[in-house]
Amino acid sequence: MARFVLRRCGLVLPSLLGLLIITFLLIHAVPSDPAAAMAGDAATPEQIARIRAQYGLDQPMWRQFLVYIAKVVQLDFGESAFSHRPVALDIFQRLPATLELTFCSLVLSIGLGVPLGVVSALKHNAWPDYLLRIFSVMGIAVAAFWFAIMLQLLFAMNLAWLPLRGDLSSTMTRPPAITHFLVLDAVLAGRWDVFGDALRHLVLPSITLGLGGLATIVRFTRAGVLDTLQQDFVFYERAMGYRRMRLIWVFILRNSVTATVTQIGLLFGGLIAGAVVVESIFDWPGIGSYTVNAILTGDKQVMLAVTLLVGAIYAGVNILVDVVHGMLDPRLMDRA
Amino acid sequence: MTSKLTRRQVGGLAAGALVAGALPPSARAADTTTLVSGFQLPQNLDPHQVYDVPMQAMMLNTYDNLYRYQDDPPVIEPWLAESHTVSDDGLTWEFKLRPGIKFHDGSAMTAEDVVYSFQRMLALALGPAGAFLKILKPENVTAPVPLTVRFKLETSYAPFFAAIPSVCIVNPRVVKAHEKDGDWGKTYVASNDAGSGPYKIVSEGYRPLEYLDMEIFDDHFLGWKHNPKPVRKIAGRPTKETSTRVLALVNGTLDWTDGNLPADQVDQINASKVAYVQKDVVMKTFVVRMNNKKAPFDNINVRKAFAHAFNYEGFIKEILAGYATRDPYPQPDTLWGIPKDVKGYDYDLAKAKEYLAKAVAEGAQIKRPIEIHVQSENEQSVQGAQLFQSDLAQIGLNVKVVGNIWSNLTSSTAKPETTPDMWVHWVSTYFVDPENWVGQMYDSQFHGTWKASSWYKNDEVDKLLRKARGLVKQEERAPLYEAATRQIMADCPDVWIYNSMQLQGINKRVKGRRFCTVGQGAEVRWVTLEG
Repeated sequence: MARFVLRRCGLVLPSLLGLLIITFLLIHAVPSDPAAAMAGDAATPEQIARIRAQYGLDQPMWRQFLVYIAKVVQLDFGESAFSHRPVALDIFQRLPATLELTFCSLVLSIGLGVPLGVVSALKHNAWPDYLLRIFSVMGIAVAAFWFAIMLQLLFAMNLAWLPLRGDLSSTMTRPPAITHFLVLDAVLAGRWDVFGDALRHLVLPSITLGLGGLATIVRFTRAGVLDTLQQDFVFYERAMGYRRMRLIWVFILRNSVTATVTQIGLLFGGLIAGAVVVESIFDWPGIGSYTVNAILTGDKQVMLAVTLLVGAIYAGVNILVDVVHGMLDPRLMDRA
Repeated sequence: MTSKLTRRQVGGLAAGALVAGALPPSARAADTTTLVSGFQLPQNLDPHQVYDVPMQAMMLNTYDNLYRYQDDPPVIEPWLAESHTVSDDGLTWEFKLRPGIKFHDGSAMTAEDVVYSFQRMLALALGPAGAFLKILKPENVTAPVPLTVRFKLETSYAPFFAAIPSVCIVNPRVVKAHEKDGDWGKTYVASNDAGSGPYKIVSEGYRPLEYLDMEIFDDHFLGWKHNPKPVRKIAGRPTKETSTRVLALVNGTLDWTDGNLPADQVDQINASKVAYVQKDVVMKTFVVRMNNKKAPFDNINVRKAFAHAFNYEGFIKEILAGYATRDPYPQPDTLWGIPKDVKGYDYDLAKAKEYLAKAVAEGAQIKRPIEIHVQSENEQSVQGAQLFQSDLAQIGLNVKVVGNIWSNLTSSTAKPETTPDMWVHWVSTYFVDPENWVGQMYDSQFHGTWKASSWYKNDEVDKLLRKARGLVKQEERAPLYEAATRQIMADCPDVWIYNSMQLQGINKRVKGRRFCTVGQGAEVRWVTLEG
């Protein structure tokens, strides 16, 4: 197992380096001047030239790249051209908010998607199956921003059950940021009022972000279960007299979720990317809204760092997916 | 509050209608001590690193300045300083500080602190420094006697005084305690408080661009007698999406938005029981730049043809729903130094064709596609460009609208060859002086900056603007700016369209707001929240 994981990790490093090179080249192909951005609206050409020299932006691109690589290995992602704050610090403070949101969305997608997929397969071509198939198509097709506004109108405006935006009510004082995960920090500080309020704020963005994943998991689980139901071992185990629930939720499901697990891995990356839209609509203080701001302002250091981060998360999750695959089907690990 | 949705409501939801007027009133318990503000936050909190409209809104509450603009129209008033003097040659300026001013940490403000603040601003050479770097050396800011700060300028520069409110006074004891490698405490002040203003930043209450909490500073030097029931806490909660902003306003979770509400939201908000839209004319001009160094805009008749081809009234009335005022001048028409007898250019396609014919006769090449760059994220700049494109097509000009972002555009204006053929932008009030508009837009010494991106050059105009800059008295400067503006308008380097009207959504419980174009009414010290 350890060798398997190490080999997978070894493959990740060149992938990330390739990602970094491509992103660096693409971002530097855009004809904007970070020095001008850093100097601000009222800057004189002399101010801009001084900043260009100070940050080595007047150096050839290959030298800038080498300097950047040397810094990245020390987890120094440079300074944001606009906030003038270390990018690593901004990411450190913001990533937990995105992970909280992504985690809740994923729990929602898996927690509902797998059982609903199983139900859909077991009720194949009956009305629950039709309903769930319609739901899954709609879930994948619906635009996140439209769905978010609908949720806001219904639950925040008409029913006033849930907050409209943000991660905490404006009248509440934040607990000390120990982990930067607001829910965890609230628990660590014993602030149960903040804990409850933060959970309420998580609901609407999590549902919005998780809808597409939920629909995907329903479809893949349904397909997997339908396929497994045709296998000989199911007839055999049925004949052996296993109880129906045990047969479905243990034997059949275990043999049906390989494709679903792969999808969950892909979904996680998709959720991080989807957070860009959802965080903007709900004013969620994570890296999604940070990325939107960086794109709109042309903040190259932030764009590079976020791309690399998302790449690393994607790679990490894929390794995890490979490990889970191996656990579900040890033959895969042997082959690898 | 109903717990069931009617069929009609469900239909409304499905259609995506934002029926603000039908929505229930405030969904939160009334808290008359906390104002939830939707103003955009600056990129960081250091007023010496960033100087733009969001920073103005933040610094007016957290920091103080020697002088400050107040009210509408803006008047520059003594603030930390109680008075100032200037030498006849305009080179030496002295400001006398009020006694008894305290910073947020309780320490007393001295003239040396003011000196430090200006030296820090000059050393960082960012944000507000652009107005000072050429005329002020750090060693020439001194405190000759307690409570007096002296500035000795390199050359006489009248806008110096107009730019004084852009510089905040920081607490050197706080800044120096957090300096690293001689960085002037840059990293610390970017996220923390070092001010003396009426509100102080709450620790743990800041995440860049997302939220900023401030609480009242009871010991502010102006006291609170003018407002017996002030706001105790400001919760800065900028909203990124217009739909969220409007919903938050009408459900009472936002007390005021920033001043950039789209015109099409006005009726919906005014129909609600909770909020209304406040309209204020601000000094923020909208302009289409033309690259005078590039053909065909190196021909004056081409430029005049373009100026006559923009449908000014149509744009203002139809697209902006009338929420702007036609301004034919390069600077806000509410400012001094304007030749009011000059009419400017009107929308007249027949005249545009005449000028175009003249230009062609002079050899101007008008067949190539002309690019007009817009800020993609800003709908209004896109709409303005598209309207212009359709009118120019009617006189046979092929114009392509190109989406871009602000930083790319401002970077591209460093050289004439990289500056777009045309681009669209606003010029906000960095300081209230013609220098902020005509001075920096049309004096050729500013070539290479985004403000001077039309690459206009007229020696006579240069002379007039430089002379006006060197004089101190407004009555002597005004005729020079008028003469310069008259000549600039005759040369038609750009297409000047309108002066903005700020549209700000405000909860009806907010009382006592005072508006000033600098900071766009974000100063909270006057405000009371009704229960």
